[in-house]
Amino acid sequence: MVKVYVESVGMVKIGRHYEKSLRDLAAEAASEALKGAGGNVDYLVVSSALQYVESGQLDLAGYVAGHLGLHGVGVLSVESGEASGLAGLKAAHSLIASGEASRVLVVGVDKLTDFVSSRVYRDMQSIYDTEVEAIYNIGHAAHAGLQARLYMEEYGVSRDTLSYWPAMMHRHAKENPYAMLRFAIDPKSVATAMPVADPLTLLDSFPLGDGAAAVILSAGDEAGNSPPLAELVGVESAAGPYSLGHSPDPLRVPALETAGRRAMDRVGSPDVVEVIDTFTIKGILSIEALGLAPRGKAAELVAEGRFTVGGEGPLVNPSGGCKARGHPLGATGVYQAAEVALQLAGKFEGVRAESAKIGFAAGYNGVGSSAFVAIFRRV
Amino acid sequence: MSMDLSIPRHWRRKGPLYRLEAAKCKECGKTHYPPTASCPYCGSKLLERVQLPRVGVLESYTIVYSPPEGARQESPVIVGLINLGGVRVVAEMTDVDPGELSTGMKVEAVLRRVREDGEAGVIYYAVKFRPLLEAGRSGEGQTAEPR
Repeated sequence: MVKVYVESVGMVKIGRHYEKSLRDLAAEAASEALKGAGGNVDYLVVSSALQYVESGQLDLAGYVAGHLGLHGVGVLSVESGEASGLAGLKAAHSLIASGEASRVLVVGVDKLTDFVSSRVYRDMQSIYDTEVEAIYNIGHAAHAGLQARLYMEEYGVSRDTLSYWPAMMHRHAKENPYAMLRFAIDPKSVATAMPVADPLTLLDSFPLGDGAAAVILSAGDEAGNSPPLAELVGVESAAGPYSLGHSPDPLRVPALETAGRRAMDRVGSPDVVEVIDTFTIKGILSIEALGLAPRGKAAELVAEGRFTVGGEGPLVNPSGGCKARGHPLGATGVYQAAEVALQLAGKFEGVRAESAKIGFAAGYNGVGSSAFVAIFRRV
Repeated sequence: MSMDLSIPRHWRRKGPLYRLEAAKCKECGKTHYPPTASCPYCGSKLLERVQLPRVGVLESYTIVYSPPEGARQESPVIVGLINLGGVRVVAEMTDVDPGELSTGMKVEAVLRRVREDGEAGVIYYAVKFRPLLEAGRSGEGQTAEPR
C-alpha cells in the first residue's frame, strides 16, 4: 500500500466571521495549505456538517472547487456529523493509499454564527437521533448534561474536579493563535458560571464559532523542497450505539473504544492526542474510551495534571480542544489533523508535545453513532 | 433535516412516541429503545415490539437553560434519563420544579404538548415524565391522557 504524508496545512482562526461566507472561509484555509504543497492536487474532499442543515448547499465540494478555480479535479463531499473532518481525512487517505490519487486537498468548513443561537441549538439537535428524541425541546446540550450528572454520581466525582478540564483547555488555547477563546479561566469559576445544561455551565461548553481548516495529503515523501510534516498512517473508524437506550452503559463510547483499539494495535500508545470535547464530559469520556485513563478516573487525572505539559501524558488537546480552540462542527476533525501533524513536525504554534513520535486525532458524533481515529507518525 | 415535524413523519413514529414501543430481541432477550431493525446487543433481526412500563426510575436529569428555537416559553427544559424496566429512555420531564428532582425517584409517563409553532401549524404532543403521584391521588399515571 502507498504511504500517505501530510504535506502542508492551513487554518483560519476560529471566530465570528460575519464578513466571510462559508466558501470564503474554505478558500482561505485551502489557499494557505496550497502554498506549501509540492504540486497540483488531483482531488478535493470537503467535510462539513451543520451547513447541510443551515445553508442547505448541496454538492458542497463542487461549489468549493468552483470558488477555488479547481476545475477538473476529482471532488467528494463528506458528512459524518461532528466527526466529518476525520471522515474526510479517511476518504482522502483511501484515495491515495489505493493509488487512485496522488495529492488530495481536504477542507473542513462550517459556520455557526449565521443565525441566532437558539436556532443553531435546534439545528445541532440533528447530531442526535432525529427519529424519536427530536420530538423534545432538548437542544444540543442535554445529553452531555445527563452524562455529566451520571458520571459524578456513578464514580463519586465532584463538580469541581470536572472543572479542571475546561481550565486546562483554556490554558492551552491561550497559546494557540488559531483558537477562538485565548484566555485562561480559574477552575473555581466553572461551577458557578451561567448554567447551560445543569450540572454543566457555559464554561463547560464549546463556543459557537466559524472556521475552516485544510490539509494536503500526498503519496510522495517530499513536499516541494522540504520534508512533509508527518505520515498519516491510517484512519480507523467504527459505528456504535447512537442512543443512550442502546447501550448497557451510558458512560461508554463503544465506537471510539473500537476505533481507538484498532489504532493502538497498529502503532501503540500516542504521545499527543486531540480529542472531541464539546462539553467537559465528552473530553473525559473520550480519554477513557481511548484507554488513556481507567473508567471513572479521567477527571481526577486531568485535575492532577496528567495530560498537560509536564504530566505523564500523553499530552491531550494542546490546541485547547473544542472547548477553547472552538468547534465548527464539520471542520473540527481537519483542525485536529492539522494540529497533530504540526506537533509531530515540531512546528505547532502553541503548547508543544516535545519529541512526540505518534499522534492521534480522535472524534465521535453525538453519543457515539460513529467514531474516527486518525493515526500520525513523525517522519 | 428540519425539525419541523411533518404529519406523515409524526404518524409513522406513533408507536415509540406515544405507546413507548421498544424492541425486544428473541435471541438474546434484551430490549432497546428507540426500536431499530436489529438488536444493538447481539445483531439479531428477530425482534418483537413490546410496550415499556410507564413507571420507572430517574437515573439522571439535566436542566437545559439554552433551549432550542421555539421552546423559549418552556425554558428551562428538564430532560431525564429514565430507566423503564431496564431500558433507558431520554425524555422531557414535566410538572416538576428543578429543585424537586433527585436521581432514584420514581417517575411516570404522561401525555403533554411539546411544541405549537412550526410551518405546518400543528400542535405536537409527546410522552413526558413526572414524579409518580401517590396511589389514590390520581389515576392519570396508569394510562396516558391528554389534558
